[in-house]
Formats: sequence, C-alpha cells, structure tokens
Amino acid sequence: MEDFHMKKLSRIAASVSVAAIAACVSTAVMAANIFVVGGKPDDPFWSRVKMGAEDAGKVAEAQGGSVTWLGPQNYDNLGPDAAELIRQAIDQGADAIVGPDWVPEAMDPAFKAVVDAGIPLVIYNAGGIEAADKLGALNYVGAVDYKSGFAGGEYLGKAGHQNGACVNTLPGAANIEAFCSGFNDGLESTGGKGSVLQLPATAYGNATAVAQAVRAHLLQNPDIDAMFAIGGGDTNATVSGIAQAGKSGQVFVCGMNFDDSILDNIQQGTQACAVDQQGYQQGFFAVSILNNYVNYGVTIPTREILTGPGVVDSSNVELVIEGVKAGAR
Amino acid sequence: MDIMSAFIRRPATASVLSLIGVLLFYFIFGGVDLEKLGGAASWLNYAARIGIVAIPVGLLMISGEIDISIGAMIPAGAMATAIISGYYGLPIIFGILGALGIGVIVGLINGVLAVRTTVPTLIITLGTLIAMQGIVLAGSVILTGNASVPLSAPDWAKTLFGQLIFGGSHQVVIIWWLAFTLLGWFILHQSRFGNWIFAMGGDKVSARNAGIPVDRFTILLFVLTATSASFVGMCHAILFNSAQVSGGMNDIFNIIASVVVGGVLLSGGFGSVPGIFIGTITFAIVNKGIDFTDIDRNWSSLIIGVMLLAAVLMNNRFRNMALNYVPRKKDKGGSAK
Repeated sequence: MEDFHMKKLSRIAASVSVAAIAACVSTAVMAANIFVVGGKPDDPFWSRVKMGAEDAGKVAEAQGGSVTWLGPQNYDNLGPDAAELIRQAIDQGADAIVGPDWVPEAMDPAFKAVVDAGIPLVIYNAGGIEAADKLGALNYVGAVDYKSGFAGGEYLGKAGHQNGACVNTLPGAANIEAFCSGFNDGLESTGGKGSVLQLPATAYGNATAVAQAVRAHLLQNPDIDAMFAIGGGDTNATVSGIAQAGKSGQVFVCGMNFDDSILDNIQQGTQACAVDQQGYQQGFFAVSILNNYVNYGVTIPTREILTGPGVVDSSNVELVIEGVKAGAR
Repeated sequence: MDIMSAFIRRPATASVLSLIGVLLFYFIFGGVDLEKLGGAASWLNYAARIGIVAIPVGLLMISGEIDISIGAMIPAGAMATAIISGYYGLPIIFGILGALGIGVIVGLINGVLAVRTTVPTLIITLGTLIAMQGIVLAGSVILTGNASVPLSAPDWAKTLFGQLIFGGSHQVVIIWWLAFTLLGWFILHQSRFGNWIFAMGGDKVSARNAGIPVDRFTILLFVLTATSASFVGMCHAILFNSAQVSGGMNDIFNIIASVVVGGVLLSGGFGSVPGIFIGTITFAIVNKGIDFTDIDRNWSSLIIGVMLLAAVLMNNRFRNMALNYVPRKKDKGGSAK
C-alpha cells in the first residue's frame, strides 16, 4: 500500500521533471539570472524598490536573463526569513544576488555563503559600505541616514533659516540619532545652529502628542525658524504644531520621506522640503550593476553608490508627483 | 480494487492527493522546475519549523482542543535562549533549559485552565498568547534594553540544534522534525495512548467513563505543544545567532492550516500523523514554491490562499468518501480508523 502511492508519486515526479529539463535546455543561454531579496511587495517603500529592480531587469531580460524578487510574507521574523531567502536564491542557481543587511547576526553567514559560492553580491538599502566590505560584496547601493539629515539641515540653512530643532520621537534608535546629528551638522555647515527636541518613544506615530510638543517648544523658544522630522507622519504633525503655535510661514520644516499630503504641503508652501532615500534607484542600480558585471565584466570603481538624499521641494514637486503616479516614487 | 479501497480509506490519502495537485498547479501554471524545487532547502526548512509544532498541535486537535499560544511560544523560546545565554552569557545549556522550561510552564497553565474551567481552549490560549507576547516584549526591554538580542552558541549546541547539513542550506531541525513525526506516529497509531486521543476527541464524557485519564492527558498535550514551539524558537536562535521579539501571529495560522490541510478535523476525533506530515509539506510547498515560479510576487498571497482552500476542500471530499466507503462484502460496523 505504502509502495503503491510512492510509486505513483515518483512516476509523476519523473515524467514531470523530464519535461522540466526539456523546457530548460531549449532556453539555455548564458545570461544573468539575478535574485533580489527585499521587503514585502505590498510595503509602499519596497514596492518602489521592486519596480526599480524590475525596470533594470528589462535590460537583463532582453539579454536573456531574469530578475526574481524574493520577499518575506511578513516582518515578524525578519532576520532569519531574509537569511533563508538569500540561501534560497543560491539554491535556485542565482548568477548574482542583491540583498539588504538588516540583521547582521542572522544574515551575514548567508551572505558569506553567497560570496563563498563565487556569486557576485551587492548589498543595498541597509548596512552601508562597511557591510559590503566586511562581506566581500561588490558594492553598496543605498542612502546614509546621517547624510539625509545633513541634506535637510543644509537646505534650510542655505535658505536662511538657521536656528533649528530636530524632533526625535525615537530616542536611542541609532538611525534616528544619525538623522538628527546630520541635521544639526548640516545647519552648522551654513553657519546656523541646531538642537534636538527629545520626545518619549510613546509619541512616535501619535500625531496629537507630537503636534502639542512642537507647539509648546516653539512658544518657549520663539527664535527657532527651522525644524526637521524623522518620518512622514511626524512631519505632518510638526506642520500642524507650527500652525497651532501661530507660526506658519515663520518656521520652515524639512522631513524624511513623503506621502501625498506632504507633497501637497510642499506645493502649497507649508513644508519646505522632504528628504527621500529614493528606493527606486536602489533596486535599479543594484540590478543594473550586477547585470553588466555578469554579462560583460563591467565594474563600478565608485564604492558606495548613494541613492539618497534626494531633496523634494517646490522646484521639483510636480515631477515627483508624476513619479508617484507611475509607482516609482 | 482492494488496494484502491484501502488507499481511499486512509486518512492521509487526501493530503497526498492535494500535495500532488499543488505540485501540478505550480508545474503547469508557474513553470516550476520540480527538480530545483525538490533539491531546494527553503520549503523543507520551513516545513521543519512549522512541522515540529504541527505534530503535537495535530494530536491536541484530534483530542478536541486547540492551542494558539504556540504563536507567542516560538519567539518566547528564542528570546529565552538569547537572553540567558547571549545577554547574560550563561552556558548555553541554561538557555536551552530556560526555553524548554518556559514551554512547560505555559503548557501547564493552558492545560490546567482547560481542564479546570469550561472556557473553550481557543479563548484560554488566546489569553496566554497575548499575555506571552507582552511578557516577551516587556521582559526583553527591561532585561536587555532592546527588542533584539544577539547570541553565539558553542559548537556542540550548533551541531545539535542549529547547523546547516548536507553541505548546503538544509537545517538540522529537519532531522528533529522527522524524529518528532516518528514519535507522534508511534504515539497516535501504535500505542494505546493513540486510542485515548481519538476517544477524547470523539466524546470526552464517554472517554472519562471508559477510564481514560482525560484531564492528565489534556494537560500533557498542552505541555507538548507549548514546549515544542519553544524548542523551535530555541533552535532558530542558535542557528541565526540572534533572537527578536515578534508577535508570531502568522505561525499560528500556518501551523493550524498545515494540520487542517493534513486532514485533521477542527472539531477533533479524526486525523493521522502521516496526514499532518504531508499536510505540512503541502503547506510549505504552497508557501515557498511561489518563489520558484515566474508568477509576479504581487499575486502570491492570492495564489497561496486559493490553493490552500482547494487543498482543504479536496481533503473534505475525500474524507467523506473515506468515511462513507462501503466495502464490497459487508460493512463491519464502519470503524473510521
């Protein structure tokens, strides 16, 4: 009885795999099959990265290659799940792999397995050039948090708003600290000075709490004319806090990331700028670098390809809105 | 004819057929290279992760109860190991014992509440699920100031619980999964305890009247489910050198779905360990096989959902056929087993 269905199973498996091999042989051309490990496809940020990777993949496909997106179904078990996806890409016969170094303890052994297998690797989105060097990857493609904050500070400072405060709703988080110290250094580079408004972590994502804190801070410190917020929601709350303090048009705001309402605010002038890490470019460049490397041996001597900060202000907001409609921004 | 009738009557038959259906679907519509899929570690590793918990959960469900606190117990086991042996630097054996100990404690609480109260076990374990999520998050932040804790385990622990085997990407937990499955098969189908479990799922009162220690056995099954979940978490922490706090909500549904795809009735009293085993493989292939297709990833959730539904419906249909099948000669009382 046990034999009966085993036999049946293996017969089906055998006939099916013969067909599969036949299908493979007929299309066997030397080309780059690139595997991209990233976030969930329904995550707004990662859907842009995916689109960039797939747009660059059109060239790979025209040359007979392919781009395959591997993302976890949820972020519950991020490090191990991503490590598994990296190993899966190796098992699927990847010619090149792109991945973010989110959780080094869990993911680095898998990245090392990629390099040990002689598969070209590009780290993107997280980890920085330090991770790429440590792992033996070709390059790092992504933004640097400190430089994003710096761009915001520099932008406001050059516009003549030189007394700034960075609204930190996640004290202790390394990337947020980097945004704020970058912002303050950016202001100082133009001759201004910056400070940090520390809020308890419970304020993160709580628009009312952030707006009230901003309002109170502005009333106590009437000479502040520039502010920086660490995320889309916080930026909207900061703009609202400025309005509640009666300071609209006197205090200028830049913030990380953007959404429809932020673009609207930039168009109407209630927000000065938004700083973007430009996920589309991360997917696009990482795939493009690997495709050219695998097919033609072309290398990029510039190490650390920065995709951000990209500053969105009134001068380019129309173009950005077009990009949003296309799904690239 | 005899072979056919015996085949259709096996509880595992439906799950074998749904597995074949899933493979055919991916092959025909997804262009999957089955040889690559067969050799790949991703679905086997995933099957092992959920399968180790699915076996005791399946036994518990056959006995007529359910445990959803397993979702919180996987991260709880991982965090216990990482906090004890990673953050505090105690020998790994204490981390392992700590993880298993938490499983035993939560299992005892679930089990005792289940037999002492008339509250449905879905609600009891929902309570312990949420409570454990809170304890793990708060405990981790209070003790370590962080929601993610690194861990470096010594070689012997890596060899036993967290190593890659066959020189590739297969994890050693696959072997543990096979061992758990064999043990579960022995308990359910070869020992008298198996008959007890089926009897409890059929009718608790009659089972108790027949002299089965229903209460003690229910508590034991709850201890097994919670401990197996914390065991999986412990293995993962050792393999991935770290643990992080997480809700584990998806694991609950994935594990229970595997058990149901494997032909276990949600209402208890019917099921088999080979069925759960194959159901877990089916679920893992549905979930991970999508990555081997040329289907756009944006569709993956839709396809996974529809295929699971199809697998379960197929199962239902075959179970009915199995239960209503009348052999040629004479119906000898129609025992379902």
